Amino acid sequence: MDVRSQISMVFHLDKCIGCHTCSIACKNVWTDREGTEYMWWNNVETKPGTGYPTKWEDQDHYKGGWEAKGGELELKSTSKRSLVPNIFHNPSQPSMDDYYEPWTYKYEELFNAPEGDDQPTAIPVSMVTGEPIDVESGPNWDDDLGGSEIYASNDPNMDGLNAEQRAQMLAIERLAFFYLPRICNHCMNPACVAACPSGALYKRGEDGIVLLNQDRCRAWRSCIPACPYKKTYYNWSTGKSEKCILCFPRLESGQAPACFHSCVGRIRYIGNVLYDADRIRELATLRDEELVEGQRSMILDPHDPDVIAAAKANGVPDSIIASAQKSPTYKYVKEWKIALPLHVEYRTFPMLFYVPPLLPVMSSTQGDVVKNDLDSLFADIEAARAPMEYLGKLFSGGNLGKLRYALRKQLAVRIWRRHVTVGDISEEKALAALNDADCTCEEADAIYRLSALSTFDDRFVVPPFQREMAIEMLEDPHEHRSSMGFGARVAPKRS
Amino acid sequence: MPQVRTLLSTILLPLLLVGTAAARVPQDPPSEETIQFFKVNCFSCHTIGGGALTGPDLKGLHERRDREWAVRFIRDPKAVLDSGDPYASALASEYRGVVMPTLPGIDATLAGKLYDLIQLESGLEKSRFEGVQVSDRPLNAADVEKGRALFQGSKAFTAGAPACISCHAIAGIGGLGGGKLGPDLTAAYSRLEGRKALVAWLAAPPSPVMQPLFTGHELNEDEILAVVALLKDAAGRGEREADSTSLTFILLGIGVCAALLVVFDLAWRNRFRAVRRPLVARG
Repeated sequence: MDVRSQISMVFHLDKCIGCHTCSIACKNVWTDREGTEYMWWNNVETKPGTGYPTKWEDQDHYKGGWEAKGGELELKSTSKRSLVPNIFHNPSQPSMDDYYEPWTYKYEELFNAPEGDDQPTAIPVSMVTGEPIDVESGPNWDDDLGGSEIYASNDPNMDGLNAEQRAQMLAIERLAFFYLPRICNHCMNPACVAACPSGALYKRGEDGIVLLNQDRCRAWRSCIPACPYKKTYYNWSTGKSEKCILCFPRLESGQAPACFHSCVGRIRYIGNVLYDADRIRELATLRDEELVEGQRSMILDPHDPDVIAAAKANGVPDSIIASAQKSPTYKYVKEWKIALPLHVEYRTFPMLFYVPPLLPVMSSTQGDVVKNDLDSLFADIEAARAPMEYLGKLFSGGNLGKLRYALRKQLAVRIWRRHVTVGDISEEKALAALNDADCTCEEADAIYRLSALSTFDDRFVVPPFQREMAIEMLEDPHEHRSSMGFGARVAPKRS
Repeated sequence: MPQVRTLLSTILLPLLLVGTAAARVPQDPPSEETIQFFKVNCFSCHTIGGGALTGPDLKGLHERRDREWAVRFIRDPKAVLDSGDPYASALASEYRGVVMPTLPGIDATLAGKLYDLIQLESGLEKSRFEGVQVSDRPLNAADVEKGRALFQGSKAFTAGAPACISCHAIAGIGGLGGGKLGPDLTAAYSRLEGRKALVAWLAAPPSPVMQPLFTGHELNEDEILAVVALLKDAAGRGEREADSTSLTFILLGIGVCAALLVVFDLAWRNRFRAVRRPLVARG
């Protein structure tokens, strides 16, 4: 057992209101530099939709992630054989247009325009070329199902649906959509790290954050096709790739990442979990349907004395084990089993988990009166607007059992809380619902509290990062100070 | 080296006057270097007692020309010719205007030694420089075939000489002709006026490029005959159509280039395939 600590996240999709505050917070902190304008380390997509970059889930085109071939894991994007003919250019990368060409407006023309009959306008100009452009797309162009005949109907997750289910998703007055905020998943088994020929990408040992060393990146761009979530980006100005760093400077000072901190809907949870790194290879080659359970089994119980002993033996500090015991993500993923990984079939074992959205059947109208009865509001999840198969493709690698379990438990919690707070559902009925959903009253209350009432401290259990220890492992601080002083990572040139 | 015919009477007197010196038989045996120099530089055009090749038979040179003239001529034939020397002019016209090349590294001493060597060899019953004695048998189609194989390099020369095609082109060989470094050999047979001179040339190629390549890798008799057969055969075909060959070459180049582009396009067909634009266009 090789017990390690890994930062993991949970996004509660039922709470996401699609406001993009997280994206803006991230953009303002990290990607407002030249060459990064098109990057959205955090973006919010509408599902169904093609997302950003367009159709990123279409791995036949983008070749992201791993595939299990005869019990061996292989990168889809590259191999020893395909490396040589593609040495100067990785195929299967999104083009700038597939992301979108970033633009701004010539605002000064509002003031400088010569006097005329027409109102002056600020014309859009590309932030890449500076030339005027026709704005054709943006990072959330299909927000709220905008242009759904083009974008939503081409959602790769719709491929497995039959015509009736497709029609159901896109039918007027039954439209089903929800928001999917995405950041780098800081995967346990990251394909980007495996694909990097320069060794620039690495997974930080103490917390599993996947980082990209700007000094070592040689612009091979192998990470870009390799990452199935398209969360590494090439900076055309510096000639280096960049990605979400999970705001590690904030984490190291005990703060939640900017996108977490700014989240209006309070959908985001962060905490560390302990996992067994020895089992990654074995579990990553399971069948698609077994992957959710496989990943869960890799995450270890931080209260188990054996796990604690193994963690200590592996050099995990006590404070980090203690933090793992309070982790909200451990509760969502492992205890309650209502948070699921996004596209686990890419076999990277993403450490960002989503609580799948309950999309209740929409109330119908009778005459001018909206029919609003409990039966439809708390109807069986099978009758929900988004077909199970669609959500199953996103969150459970096609294993609908795991998805039903998560949705049913959420619904049971709602029924239970309706019984407690409103009282128009009988206790008998509420308990039966909980029982059906493999849930107890205490658990239901705990889920309710963490989902609905949670404070900063409940949602963000940032482990102490022990940076001083991590640094001491690499270099002796006293020697560093005496030879280089403070503040410089590279010794100054002396003439 | 000059052969005395028409001008014999006009130079008889001066020859006799200097005869005492010219006629003396060299006492020292010729050095190995001189023999080697002769072999390499003179022998492909001249024999001693073997008859005229590209240049005249040198047997009895000392009887025809005095030492001083011969040394002057050997050192710089063109200068002698240009000076209007009547004997040299006569030789030039007799040998179709072919002027003996100025030999690299020649000086008065060496020229004198060569003169001595020629004089010595002329006195022998049978000079070692009588010429390459290659059979006079008639050349047949098999020889041509063998020559073709040798020319193209599909059959290697036994002593390891490079195949002709690496530098030469010739009519009837290869769709793209041969090498362009050396001259086209189609007319070589007629240019050297037949088999005998050609055989001598092939036995020890004297040109500055070929000489170092063939030294130590001499062709054997069968190979010489085979190549001569091929050259004769090629001469029979007439002039090569050089223009058509270069046209073929250009067309072939364009064809190969186009084929490569197709291969590249297939190999890298998946790059820069847009996703969003086609999606919108279809919608």
